[in-house]
Amino acid sequence: MIFQDFKYALRLLAKKPGFTALTTLVMAAGIGLSLYMFSFFNTILFKDLDFKDGESLVMLSASHNGSISSDKLNLLDYQEIKKSIKGLSEFTGYSNTNVTMSARDGARRYSAILTLPNFFKITRTQPVLGRSFNANESLFGANKVVVIGYDLWQNLFAGDPEVTEQSLNINGNNHQIIGVMPQGYLFPNTAQMWLPMIEDKTKSTRIDTPSLFGLAHIDTHTSLTEIDQQLAVIMKRIENKYPQTNSATSAYVTTIPGSGAGDGQPVIYTMHIVAVLILALASINVGNLLLSRAVERSKETAIRIALGAPRFRLISQMLWESIIICTLGGVIGLLIVAWGLEVSGPITQTFFINPTAFWWKFAIDGYTIKLFFTILIITIVVTGLLPAWKNSGNDFNSVLRDGTRGALGKKAGRLNKLLVISEIFISMTILIAASVMIYAAHQQSNLDIGADTDNILTARVLLADKQYDDKNKQVQFAKTLGSRLENSPGIGEVMIATALPGDFSTEEKLILQGKEYSKDNNISYPKANYISIMPDALQKLGVDLKSGRYFNSSDNGLDKNTALVTQEFAHQHFKDSNAIGQRFRVAQTDSEQMTWITIVGIVENTIQGNREGRALPSVFRPLTQSPRQQLTIAMRMKSNINVATSTLRKTLQSIDPLLPSYKIETYEQSNERFTAPIKFISSLTALFALAAVILAASGIYGVMSNTINQRTQEIGIKRALGADEKTITKEFLKAGAKQLLWGGIPGIIAGCAMGYAMSQLFGTSSDSLIIISVTIISIIGSVVMLATYLPTQKALEMEPSDALHHE
Amino acid sequence: MSNRLIKLENFEKVFYTEDVETHALSKISLTINKGEYVSISGPSGCGKSTLLSLLGLLDTNTGGKYQLAEHDVSNISKQQRAKIRNTEIGFIFQSFNLISDLNVEENVELPLTYRNDLNKKQRKEMVKSALLQVDMAHRAKHFPSQLSGGQQQRVAVARAIAGNPSIILADEPTGNLDSKNAAAVMALLDELHAKGATICMVTHDPRSAEQANRNIEILDGHLVSDQVKTTKAA
Repeated sequence: MIFQDFKYALRLLAKKPGFTALTTLVMAAGIGLSLYMFSFFNTILFKDLDFKDGESLVMLSASHNGSISSDKLNLLDYQEIKKSIKGLSEFTGYSNTNVTMSARDGARRYSAILTLPNFFKITRTQPVLGRSFNANESLFGANKVVVIGYDLWQNLFAGDPEVTEQSLNINGNNHQIIGVMPQGYLFPNTAQMWLPMIEDKTKSTRIDTPSLFGLAHIDTHTSLTEIDQQLAVIMKRIENKYPQTNSATSAYVTTIPGSGAGDGQPVIYTMHIVAVLILALASINVGNLLLSRAVERSKETAIRIALGAPRFRLISQMLWESIIICTLGGVIGLLIVAWGLEVSGPITQTFFINPTAFWWKFAIDGYTIKLFFTILIITIVVTGLLPAWKNSGNDFNSVLRDGTRGALGKKAGRLNKLLVISEIFISMTILIAASVMIYAAHQQSNLDIGADTDNILTARVLLADKQYDDKNKQVQFAKTLGSRLENSPGIGEVMIATALPGDFSTEEKLILQGKEYSKDNNISYPKANYISIMPDALQKLGVDLKSGRYFNSSDNGLDKNTALVTQEFAHQHFKDSNAIGQRFRVAQTDSEQMTWITIVGIVENTIQGNREGRALPSVFRPLTQSPRQQLTIAMRMKSNINVATSTLRKTLQSIDPLLPSYKIETYEQSNERFTAPIKFISSLTALFALAAVILAASGIYGVMSNTINQRTQEIGIKRALGADEKTITKEFLKAGAKQLLWGGIPGIIAGCAMGYAMSQLFGTSSDSLIIISVTIISIIGSVVMLATYLPTQKALEMEPSDALHHE
Repeated sequence: MSNRLIKLENFEKVFYTEDVETHALSKISLTINKGEYVSISGPSGCGKSTLLSLLGLLDTNTGGKYQLAEHDVSNISKQQRAKIRNTEIGFIFQSFNLISDLNVEENVELPLTYRNDLNKKQRKEMVKSALLQVDMAHRAKHFPSQLSGGQQQRVAVARAIAGNPSIILADEPTGNLDSKNAAAVMALLDELHAKGATICMVTHDPRSAEQANRNIEILDGHLVSDQVKTTKAA
């Protein structure tokens, strides 16, 4: 019997291939897009780590001023939390670092992890070779040891089983290799090298103790929210006790993958909501198409009922259509998801110069399959059950008697209105949210970072502690490198700085001379990006001077204290006076040293890292006064990139054979990396928005024209009673506008709420949000009005006598 | 002042479908005077409903002349036709054609809302009066689905007469009713006629046709008989 119904449904669908193709494609788009979105975010943020007890592994991080941005916890705070918190066990911690590893064939830079004891145990993973750290190896003065990753073992030691007999030169010190971790083990992120975090008993204050991320296992019956509540209490207690170091500092717990969300949670929630709404939109459209078809076939259904067909058979027959359409659409959607996830790997890799996190494996997995079937069942129910139930419950007698009512039934009218209102609400919400994101991406990618980035190659070097512990050596290195490079063929101007405009830089709290600050906490000190740069570099980079002077040779010398500030800095702190000649110092809370720095010039604003409109103002110091070990080199290329890269490597080798350069890329590539994630997310959102526009426009038009078509007789009656075309058009447009308001107002509220949440993150102004909302309202409004006007005119083209007899 | 309300001269309606030309009405000429009660009868498909649609300006003729109250309405604009339908013609349909979303009162008021010369109070009074005439005032707030077929048709009659039209056009007004309700509706039309209303009714029910004082017969689009009765059947 069921097979008979299935065959009948297939025959009906085959009879209308256009309808079948359209509904299948709509469903494929809905299921494909939403499934992709859920799978993508599950892979990067919500997946359980592939260790034993991986699902209970959590991470503790610090937050400042309520901002969740994956900051490290102070070691002493971590220890206090460990002592006081309930519901967490097996604590450990780690910190990321960069190391220079020297070997026979030269030096290389690696990302490494400094770990507390118990680090490997928490992931229930043992080395495949050798052993992990013991407690003594964390003590100050202990033998230096390292555990290496499987790939490093294979690439550097060709899988030598005697590797634990060997050592590695890391940052100029020999480290005994004590173990090799299993293949694919890169915990906590992309690690290939693990070193013990040395416990220095001489550093015991909150200012000089190291920072780290805490790790622990959460008890089965404890939620993350409960841990967060406890953390808030513990951190508040610490803040009260140590206001100078801990003001506005708190802590929070996340899963390891979830820590990547940071304060981007509004975007993630928005994307998930958008995915659900797209699915709803597709389901409503297909449901409406099936409903129209069911209405078309109401006479056939009535005949079947008259012949004694039980209701469940009628429902089964109609449900089969939606099962076939949703399954076919779902399978196509799943194939699209498989392809989408496959290309997501290479795309997301471009966001980072290092490999992506080890759990970022984009492919159809158990979660995707489970979700696919859940979505499939929901869509079948949504698209099929309503038309099936509605049509099978019709008054078959009146249908058989050819009907006596001129107007659309009240219930059907309400349902159609509800469909249109839902479509308006959903499309408005999606489009406002998506537009804010697209606008933010556009704004960020076209942001003026303050420097000329054309034809510049950038690279980083990290001066090793041992050879460059003296500041004079650091200055000398920068000067020598700059002059040698500038004298090399193929290289033009050379700029050296701790951070170029566009890059993230160190932030410092400052004390401005003559201003008063609270002694009870450290939050009243203004913050600024603090960048050391070779004296001539700002000019060479095209950062315009606004007043005063650039750095010059008179600024060279470790005993000199001059600075350039950006316009924003001058505006924020010296609104009513001239910033030139004003003095400030770094609020070094661990030092009694009082070195006042004089502002000698104001330059145009530069962006450092954050492109979201919340960027700090910047302070530039001459590298010859304030040298650093981490340097970025920018070279204007006179020839191609390969020549410039080779020249840089040779020049570095001529100065220090053991000094590796890394992150070699053009200045433009480096800048694009900052905006690549938001560009990717906004492209995804744009795709969703496009799908929403097409689905909503066609859906609204479909429902409206269907509704008006069903009301043709009513139009005929009204015309017979003397209503002219203008009156009827006005009446229908008024009804359309009413539906626009019913769906549009909640849509604007929901869209603006999501848009506002994102604008806070991306720094989109309220004006932009208003303009976006008005534009979307106008677009959707025009769609609704047009979807009302055109079918009404079509119905009015009919003679009233024909309209009265319209079926 | 002339007593003539409708005058048709060589009135034609041809339907064109692809290669086929169907003459629904051919060279019809007739006159209907004020106060007449005319029945149009004939077999199914003979063109009687088409004639009523054309008389009611629900459709356009393809040939001939149509004068309504001394005005040529053969070639007027859609807007003018709508205005004439609203003020001069009252329709009663076989399938009642009440709007299910509107209650009885609103249904009756509907044609009056399309007039600009009536305020709300006037409209309410006219609706009340029409409903009283058809004895449906007590059901003013009911929706069509809550009424019987006969009651619905009485509401349709009230709607047709609410605006004091020059002529009432009824298309098989008893076609969907049982004999008891049919008789009641016919009695209502009689009553309206007695009060001076001009009625033109399409019917293939001989008993209904008997009620009229003039019987027009159509066959294959041609007017084949036009008989005026001196006395009406009781």
